Amino acid sequence: MAELEFERRLERLFAESPELADAGAFAERVERRLNAGWTARRWLIGAAGVVGGVIGASQLMMSGLFQRVETAGDSARFLSTSLNHLSTTTDWITAVSSGGAVVWVAAGLAVIMMGFVLTRVIGEI
Amino acid sequence: MPGARHSRFASSHDVELCGFAATGERRAFGELVRRHGSAVRGVLRRMGAQGAEADDVAQDAFLTAFERIAEFRGEGTFAAWVKKIAARIYLRRLQRDRRLSSMTAEAIEDEPEVPRGDADANIDLEEALKALSEAERLCVSMCFGAGLSHTEAAEALNLPLGTVKSHVKRGLEKLRTRLAPDDGVVLEGRRGNG
Repeated sequence: MAELEFERRLERLFAESPELADAGAFAERVERRLNAGWTARRWLIGAAGVVGGVIGASQLMMSGLFQRVETAGDSARFLSTSLNHLSTTTDWITAVSSGGAVVWVAAGLAVIMMGFVLTRVIGEI
Repeated sequence: MPGARHSRFASSHDVELCGFAATGERRAFGELVRRHGSAVRGVLRRMGAQGAEADDVAQDAFLTAFERIAEFRGEGTFAAWVKKIAARIYLRRLQRDRRLSSMTAEAIEDEPEVPRGDADANIDLEEALKALSEAERLCVSMCFGAGLSHTEAAEALNLPLGTVKSHVKRGLEKLRTRLAPDDGVVLEGRRGNG
């Protein structure tokens, strides 16, 4: 019983740690290291996002996707022409599919999306 | 307004601060460091770490705690959780520097003579711990300061459980002879839960 009481007393004594004089400075040092780590991580995530976006864009360029999209655009144009015969309500298809602008808009959106996804994935990791 | 946010943290409970820290709020975690930094550094010093080393290990322990804050479920106190982390980091450092084996080996062969002190003398814990061998001091501090069980301490020290128990037993006997009888002073309520 006395042994148990002594052990409890010892736990109390250990818990009674006096406040050290430089407690505030110590906390600031820890916060500085936390902030430094956070800043480095943000840079890393940002850089990874940019790199990922560039790689994604180059892959899109290399994969001949644009040609396929243009082919799809042609098909759409053909389809819209055909549909024009059927109805005048399909005018919007022609408007959207005409020109290569739609290809570039799609590519831009894909790059942004890839960068965003990569950034989130790295952030989660 | 940063000042207002700081004062809000100052009045928050540890568990709330851990919740904020889990969302990445570093200032909330800073408040936890402010509250429990001395206690963590104190345990490390009692385990035998010197001032600068104790501070380094304590910093690493808090950074690790921030990284792993989502694992803290609030079952024990935040301070106890960080103390355990700090004790393990300190032991790993001792192992890395090959100091641990010499510390524990020294205790087996070298049994310092402990004068039967005047039990009425008001010797504080720091002074009393000086009478213990390094291994005894380490084991007692880990079990009573950092809150590790004998088994956890044995695993962390890579020693047989029986050896750790005997270090603790011998350490407690020495401390009992050197510490003044309990004056029955009850600790005043401390802020936070640590």
